[in-house]
Amino acid sequence: MRAEITKHLYQFESAVLSGLDEEGCPCSVRCRPYPDTSGPEVLTVWLPPGTPIRPGPASLLCHSHDENLWNLKSFLVRGALKKDAGGWSFEPGQFIPGAGIGGLPAMVRFFINCRRKASRYLKKRGLARPRIPWDEINAAKRAVSYQPINKS
Amino acid sequence: MPRSSRVVAGLPSEVEDVFEEFRTCELSTLARDGTPITWPTLPFWRSAEKRFTVTTSIGLAQKAINVRRNPRVSLLFSDPTASGLEAPPAVLVQGDAEAPDEIETSVAGFAEELRKVYRWQPASRAYGSNPLTRRFMDWYFMRLSIHVTPRRILWWPGGDIWQEPFELRMDHAG
Repeated sequence: MRAEITKHLYQFESAVLSGLDEEGCPCSVRCRPYPDTSGPEVLTVWLPPGTPIRPGPASLLCHSHDENLWNLKSFLVRGALKKDAGGWSFEPGQFIPGAGIGGLPAMVRFFINCRRKASRYLKKRGLARPRIPWDEINAAKRAVSYQPINKS
Repeated sequence: MPRSSRVVAGLPSEVEDVFEEFRTCELSTLARDGTPITWPTLPFWRSAEKRFTVTTSIGLAQKAINVRRNPRVSLLFSDPTASGLEAPPAVLVQGDAEAPDEIETSVAGFAEELRKVYRWQPASRAYGSNPLTRRFMDWYFMRLSIHVTPRRILWWPGGDIWQEPFELRMDHAG
């Protein structure tokens, strides 16, 4: 898993580390994790001295988008945050690909899975598939002028 | 809460600008085993109600299901891409969320937010633009709302998290 994480990690300038604070509330901070030689699966993270995050269950998110909120790319790693005399480290447990990871086959799988999950959500509640008001939605599209941002 | 923070009484405009202009924030919900699960999402700040609304498809309902089990969430605003803001603060919102089990398909009540999405994300107009995408992407338009009421807001001027943050306790604010 480390190779997979490292491969994708280097495509992002930073990551969002999420853990729990002393009251058990989720809490996130930007950081720059990098593979550590002290363990086969460990990432070192540098956190500010007063960080509210406590050691324990944690996740690491990398994501990006362009100026038009497109070319979305993301992945999440579930794991555990640890602290010792050497500082903070993140021990990965599960790699979860998000948008833009895995190319076209992954994108097709993503859409099929979402459609299946939606069907299950409705079935579990005994609901018929809702009719989507396409006319309303298309009117909302027409109400906004099309001005993509071109920025190099 | 950080070991030290500068407690203030009101929300400065530079933080509200972040709420209004950032294209995404990182929403954390708690999985069944207590692991914070974080994904990027589009936040809508409703200043009159002093709360955020994010929406998700029933095809991606896990974050709403997590909220129904445990309402504690956080929103981190740390990626200013496309916001047009110069050196904005990084902002962490911790709060309580509710996610009613009501599927919204109508534009009514979300017209402003939908226009914002189409303005910010022009390519998403393709969703539902032809019979094929209407057939296979109808799930995307079956939405669940998640409302987040902030309890504590922390922000780091200039996005420098190595500085001592400012802190606003919403349960103490007027």
